[in-house]
Amino acid sequence: MHIKYESFIREPLVEGNKDYHQVSEDIVAPIEGKPGRMWYVGFFFSIILLCFGIFSVSWSVYWGLGTWGVNRTIGWGWDITNFVWWIGIGHAGTLISAILLLFRQGWRTGVNRAAEAMTIFAVMCAGQFPIWHMGRVWDGFFVLPYPNTRGPLWPNFDSPLLWDVFAISTYFTVSLLFWYSGLIPDFALIRDRAKTKLRKMLYGVASFGWTGTAKNWQRQEALALVLAGLSTPLVLSVHTIVSFDFATSVIPGWHTTIFPPYFVAGAVFSGFAMVNTLLVLTRKILHLEEYITIGHLEAMNKIIVLTGSIVGVAYLTELFIAWYSQSWGEMAAFQWRILGPYWWSYWAMMTCNVVSPQLFWVKKLRRNVPFTFVMSIVVNIGMWFERFVIIVTSTYRDWIPGSWSYYSPQWTEVGFYLGTFGLFFTCYFLFAKYFPVIAISEIKFVLKTSGRNFKEKMNHIEEMSAESFYHIAEASHHDDHDDTHGDDTHGTHDTHHKEEKTLVDSIMHPFNDEHLIEGATVVEHLLSPIVETKTETIEEVSHEVKQEEVITVAPIVTPVEEIPVVEAKEGTTETNFVVETDDTKVEEIKESTDEVVVKETTVDGGAEDRDLPSNSPIVDNTLPTTDTEKKGDDIAD
Amino acid sequence: MNDRFVIPGRLKNMSRAFISIGVLTLIMGIIFFLTKNNNIDKTRFWAVLLQDSVFFTMITAVSIFIQAAANLAHGSWIVAYRRVPEAIGANVWVFGTIASVILLIIVFVFRVGPEHVNPIYEWVTPGNDKILNGKSAFLNQGMYLGFTLVTVALWSYFGRKFRSMSIAQQSAPKNDTKIFWKVFRLSGLFLLVYALTQMSTAPWLWIMSIQAHWYSTLFSWYTFASSFVSGMSLILLWVVYLKNQGNLELVTKEHMHDLGKFMFAFSIFWTYLWFSQYMLIWYANIPDETVYFKLRQQGPYSIIFYSNFIINFFMPILILMARPSKRNYFTVTFMAMIIIFGHWLDFYQMIMPGPLGSDWQIGFYEIGIFIGFAGVLIYCVSKTLAKTNLIPENNLFLKETMIHIS
Repeated sequence: MHIKYESFIREPLVEGNKDYHQVSEDIVAPIEGKPGRMWYVGFFFSIILLCFGIFSVSWSVYWGLGTWGVNRTIGWGWDITNFVWWIGIGHAGTLISAILLLFRQGWRTGVNRAAEAMTIFAVMCAGQFPIWHMGRVWDGFFVLPYPNTRGPLWPNFDSPLLWDVFAISTYFTVSLLFWYSGLIPDFALIRDRAKTKLRKMLYGVASFGWTGTAKNWQRQEALALVLAGLSTPLVLSVHTIVSFDFATSVIPGWHTTIFPPYFVAGAVFSGFAMVNTLLVLTRKILHLEEYITIGHLEAMNKIIVLTGSIVGVAYLTELFIAWYSQSWGEMAAFQWRILGPYWWSYWAMMTCNVVSPQLFWVKKLRRNVPFTFVMSIVVNIGMWFERFVIIVTSTYRDWIPGSWSYYSPQWTEVGFYLGTFGLFFTCYFLFAKYFPVIAISEIKFVLKTSGRNFKEKMNHIEEMSAESFYHIAEASHHDDHDDTHGDDTHGTHDTHHKEEKTLVDSIMHPFNDEHLIEGATVVEHLLSPIVETKTETIEEVSHEVKQEEVITVAPIVTPVEEIPVVEAKEGTTETNFVVETDDTKVEEIKESTDEVVVKETTVDGGAEDRDLPSNSPIVDNTLPTTDTEKKGDDIAD
Repeated sequence: MNDRFVIPGRLKNMSRAFISIGVLTLIMGIIFFLTKNNNIDKTRFWAVLLQDSVFFTMITAVSIFIQAAANLAHGSWIVAYRRVPEAIGANVWVFGTIASVILLIIVFVFRVGPEHVNPIYEWVTPGNDKILNGKSAFLNQGMYLGFTLVTVALWSYFGRKFRSMSIAQQSAPKNDTKIFWKVFRLSGLFLLVYALTQMSTAPWLWIMSIQAHWYSTLFSWYTFASSFVSGMSLILLWVVYLKNQGNLELVTKEHMHDLGKFMFAFSIFWTYLWFSQYMLIWYANIPDETVYFKLRQQGPYSIIFYSNFIINFFMPILILMARPSKRNYFTVTFMAMIIIFGHWLDFYQMIMPGPLGSDWQIGFYEIGIFIGFAGVLIYCVSKTLAKTNLIPENNLFLKETMIHIS
């Protein structure tokens, strides 16, 4: 059993007075209710934009790419600018879900779902540009390397443009899997709460028959870790390969070795800006301020100032090395970039990306919601200009002055870009309506360490001396880790025995206050902080367990007084317990509760907030122990 | 909670022996190389000192960086052994000072041949070289002196400051946050300093300007990655050592696992930057740029070039990939040593091909000087470690680190 504690210095991740049930209620509310007027208005505009985009693209395909403003000198214009821009935005989702997961950043739970959705939609938008940029789009299959009838003609594997095809499709697939596997338990929760048949059926299908068994959770968490491992290199690889589109060339301004990591930093930068744009609106419209707190926005603003500064260092490095190289091509490229006819784009980029994010060094501004919103848009404008600067201002002053050119987009290109906004927001509006925008099960995972009401109860731990806390931690540690500790620690157990008993009690039961779990009884008083379980099934389960006589309850928390701990993930109508016996034999007792489903549809799928009967057999120490909250890798041990 | 480290006699003797070896090697170097009338020998004498002093300065400075990063990210994982990076960081001034002396002697004093050229930093005596003269606004002795002194001074200041603030927290009122937030702000400031030194100017001046014609925008970040992964390995070695002495009671396998993950992940990160730099230069095939790799990959350094890649990429990725290996004291210790050696080699191949060309060798001198520096490190860091309680009492994350799960 892991002690639920975190330092008071950390801000709560969930505000207000919450229990598991309330979390489900709050996050599922938008799905179960009718959308507000704002939603319809927004959705309508998105559809209009999407239609205009489809029209513009159709026009370009029908009349050919001559309708675009690109020319022989400036072969890439808004199309590739927008492509890189959207791909960059897509990076925040994977960074949050993969890298922040590996770094154990608890705050990711509030924002990961929306960020991952954003990733998927952004990649969808990005993918449009290379596809329609082909011009003869019906030849698009040519990028696929399959045994063909074209003789020796294969896709050019030496070309980074082709690597892009593989990188982005892999990225899209993995992101989608990651996102969806996280959604499954939440879909099951919605299914179990559903009051209409249709909703029940649809979410039932979407949840792949999730029943919430320990096995389900174990597999789901193992999958999450594997996908996190796969996604981590993908965070780097995708934008690295996008940067190769430019950097493998010999064009001054494109060919520079810093491009790969600097593109990745820039992508994370713009991705977080877009997450901020979306979440500032989402939290307001869906009333989720208690889950996407100011602290969350501040954390993202910190990442913005960090990545913005990394990008700034890269800009200055590029500029400096262009001079340092003493290569006239490099020097000229940067001169034309900064002082040429496109000077405004360079300075827009510098101001938006490097200068203005520095304001986030000020804590007050990081925590200011309107300012965050404005900055998030400023950063995205800046990042758009970055790509424009790289693409257009590196090419418009060619080697031969006779081919020098200037480029302005035509309406078809603008329409195409607006159309991708339509696509993006259409998807996002649908997502916000039909999907839980916050990962419910993950919020529950951090609730008892990081929820405000739970943190308030940790004061007595803060006042405790480090030494006493250490003994308690050690005691609880010994039970589920086989790590060896020095002999000293064993010795101290005896001497501190009595003193510890009270400490252990107080530390393990800090949360047993009445208004959280109503009608507390003596049993509850002992168990309430760590028990969430299903009333109806407890008796039967423990009964069965007794009959089979497989159980020797592992000592849970304290070597002094063995309090069995029961934890069941809520969110489903099926109750399962894993029984851990001494020789770590795991038995699963499944309780199909079809009838209960019918009974419970009017309440909440999760019965976590229900009372325990005072005559529950919990009183004797025969209750099975579950520890579904352990991370997957621990279970894998 | 009290956890004092008493320097064992063996460690003391070992560090003294190492330092003696280093000093002896230096004296032998002076006799065999410096006094001889052979330019290559003289160059080798200084280049090796340059390599080791810069390497040790950079890998110890990583300890300041990781403290700053953890402070900013509210990382509690490091708290169980944060006295180790504190002690290493507080000694950056030692290596910084040694490095400054060596670097400045090379730039200001060291000349060879009848034309009095500087064989390590060509740009000091550029002659009629048009490109080097073009760079002289940056590559000149004044700039070099200024950047070097400022860099070393700032690193030394922050290294000592972080440690003293952390110790001040020990006697602060219980759960007092004043120092915490002060350190937090200082950490932000340090990142800025670090970005303008380690992540840009310092490697340009100290290392990249050795082959002064060649340039790569990624070079400083690459050097940072190389230092970072070896710096984390260095912290790990100390943690394991202290653990073996019966100290650092709070450190469990969870904490070791974290350090193991850092070594694993940042070895791959280093490879990523290595590949980015190499691949882009190879692909574009511009002679101005490929000259760097031609000398290393196809020239006399090919053995080092390939070992660099095998030691620093294949070994960590294959050996540290599995979870149990990151929780095994032997494996992580072994890998930490390998990684430090590998990146020392990496620094070697960044620095030597310019001045030494095909006349390189790793002999008694290279090894002896390295041992000398290691002796200084062991001596200084163990002394600093012994001065305070190894458990950062009253640290706001102390309790979190006790229940930390990797």
